[in-house]
Amino acid sequence: MQVRFAGIGGQGVVLAGVILGEAAAIEGLNVVQTQDYSSASRGGHSIADVIISKEPIYDLIVTKADVLVALAQLGYNTTKDSLKEDGLLIVDTDLVKPDREFIGAPFTRIAEETTGLALTVNMVALGYLVAKTGIVKKESVEEAIRRRVPKGTEDINLKAFRAGYEEGLK
Amino acid sequence: MRYPFPVGKSDFIQGDEAIARAAILAGCRFYAGYPITPASEIFEAMALYMPLVDGVSVQMEDELASIAAIIGASWVGVKAMTATSGPGFSLMMENLGYAIMTETPIVVVNVQRGGPSTGQPTLPAQGDVMQAIWGTHGDHSLIVLTPATVQEAFDMTIRAFNLAEKYRTPVVLLSDAEVGHMRERVNIPNPEDIELVYRKLPANEEEAKYPFGDIHGDLIPPMPIFGKGYRTYVTGLTHDEKGRPKTVDAEIHQKLIERIVNKIEKNKKDIIDYETFELDDAEVAIISYGIVARSAIRAVKMLRSEGIKAGLLKLNVVWPFDFEMIEKIAEQVHAIYVPEMNLGQVYHLVKEGANGKARVELIPKIGGEVHTPQEIVKAVKRCEKCI
Repeated sequence: MQVRFAGIGGQGVVLAGVILGEAAAIEGLNVVQTQDYSSASRGGHSIADVIISKEPIYDLIVTKADVLVALAQLGYNTTKDSLKEDGLLIVDTDLVKPDREFIGAPFTRIAEETTGLALTVNMVALGYLVAKTGIVKKESVEEAIRRRVPKGTEDINLKAFRAGYEEGLK
Repeated sequence: MRYPFPVGKSDFIQGDEAIARAAILAGCRFYAGYPITPASEIFEAMALYMPLVDGVSVQMEDELASIAAIIGASWVGVKAMTATSGPGFSLMMENLGYAIMTETPIVVVNVQRGGPSTGQPTLPAQGDVMQAIWGTHGDHSLIVLTPATVQEAFDMTIRAFNLAEKYRTPVVLLSDAEVGHMRERVNIPNPEDIELVYRKLPANEEEAKYPFGDIHGDLIPPMPIFGKGYRTYVTGLTHDEKGRPKTVDAEIHQKLIERIVNKIEKNKKDIIDYETFELDDAEVAIISYGIVARSAIRAVKMLRSEGIKAGLLKLNVVWPFDFEMIEKIAEQVHAIYVPEMNLGQVYHLVKEGANGKARVELIPKIGGEVHTPQEIVKAVKRCEKCI
């Protein structure tokens, strides 16, 4: 299973990839996580790849994504060709206007409404992805969030993740 | 002993972090370095862990001093490591030779990035293979390991320390920016399950008199570390068995350097490590190492599914080099392909090994992207057609 997160620097795209990867590792699955970002810390494109499998993984980057999560138009434009023809496209519906079939929700707006912080958009999108695909268990992601986010921000990130998860169940 | 990270279970970490943790578990208690992308995470982890295991991590003024400091640490009996990337590795060349000449066990990690010069700081390359082997001047030998996964980065770091201690030699761990920065699930064993090697120490005063001889007949002299009561002279000048400078005696020079080379060369079988994949009945061989070997495994599968009997030899050690094994493979297959992230380095070793018995083709790639399996398949198919 190849999952690619694409957005712009500052949206926490890489952290979303790391947490999904950690959740898969917690479940004992093999997982590779790599990233590609421009040298600008904000505003440039940012991509996080996560490849999850029960078999040994030789791939390094996503070549044919099963799922593409796009949080910004720039990220979508940069990566849309890597999504399989029958792949699942998940977008922030306020920020990305795709030219193909998609599902999604206004993740950034949900983040602002839930936690007051737009930068928790990565957790909202991650929650939505997990609810829609079942790629890893909700509990594994919650454990991964506790391990990976900066100390003191666990609750706010978990809250954003759960809001996204609820949205995904709808 | 409490470790500052979880042991006896798996974790999801970067290659650089895996190297730092493995070093701690291998008994490394001195790290000296200078930050450089993409190796800085090793230093960061060492700075965090060392004080918690009663070790020392120190930032030096540059890479010349970094390697000098770990050589000093090793001579007082501490397992020591430094890590860097291309530009820093170039600065370490002189003292790498000093470590070889003084037979000092150290581990030098080079997380390769695009070069020459400052080149491509954030992107992977395999351009430093020949430098790792031959970058320091004079006749010599040493050991060079090439990890392809985060697990291998971990395992080979422990092996690097063991080989350094066993053969009283510097060992270079040649990683790259991709392995260094990617995250994978890694099994971190219980410390009591990790086999560790420690350098041979002199059994008595008499043995301690010959820190550069061959008193055990195994080419590896015991190392009289400082502070244990022995008087030892350590010099980069050509020296006799007792360590005294003898700079114009051809016989002494020849004896010393040949032993330093032969302690690696004659133990090649013990040092060399490789894996094969579908090689037994292969008609076409791919020889690969480090990060590119991952794509090569996939390429072998794809070629097989298209009816081309391909097989892979994955080198985990690129020096010493098993030229005889390559010749055997060359007798079995009609072509050998060497994909590497440079314009041809291990290719030349393979070509020498093949000894004209099979066609050897380079599949070079530079610029910062790892070969895709498709690119390797395409290159192999293009050449297979032209026969």
